[in-house]
Amino acid sequence: MRRYETIFIANPDLSEEDQNALQEKVRSIVASFKGEFVKLEDWGLRKLSYQIRKSSRGRYFLVDYLAEAPALVRELERTLRLNDGVLKFLTVKTSARVTSEQIQALKAASPADKTIRLEERPAAPEPTPAPVEAAKTEAGGEEK
Amino acid sequence: MKPPMKRRRTFQRRKVCVFCADSGMKIDYKDVKTLNHFVTERGKILPRRISGNCAKHQRDITQAIKKARNISLLAFSVFGS
Repeated sequence: MRRYETIFIANPDLSEEDQNALQEKVRSIVASFKGEFVKLEDWGLRKLSYQIRKSSRGRYFLVDYLAEAPALVRELERTLRLNDGVLKFLTVKTSARVTSEQIQALKAASPADKTIRLEERPAAPEPTPAPVEAAKTEAGGEEK
Repeated sequence: MKPPMKRRRTFQRRKVCVFCADSGMKIDYKDVKTLNHFVTERGKILPRRISGNCAKHQRDITQAIKKARNISLLAFSVFGS
């Protein structure tokens, strides 16, 4: 199997339901083509480096998945292209050959059915980074 | 009249490719923070003679920057103030 990742930028004006529907759609496509879903990351709202369709912000999603046939990628890209809520997407092949053992390891490492928000990524040691930052700014204020 | 230019060869320390020096560093098009070191403030890719990268890693960096530009993580060009 090959491992791919697709980043797509959703329109920030999209409602929460539409965003969820979009995520579900992506999952169902991967499932229907017998691909293996690794993870879906929600990067949240980000400022775009240049405007896309008059929008200067976008909500980034990263889909990491394995596919046996290129038909899966084709179908996923087709769907994203047709969806008006998607501003742009990019698919990158990250690995040309993934063995079944590696797939098992991947499956064990991450819960595929959950959407990972960037803030609560397992790599981050502190579960609550926001209060820490707030404390820092407070300290800075005191110094002044 | 301008005084004749004095040609002085300044010896420059040969830069070492940061990715070769630190094998733990990976080039990833999603890692904007790292990629930002290799573009000018106008968004152009820094040449190898400035960045000091080896050929292989410069190629990888270039590819990564182009991917990042495509998905709007980096700008194609930054203009104005």
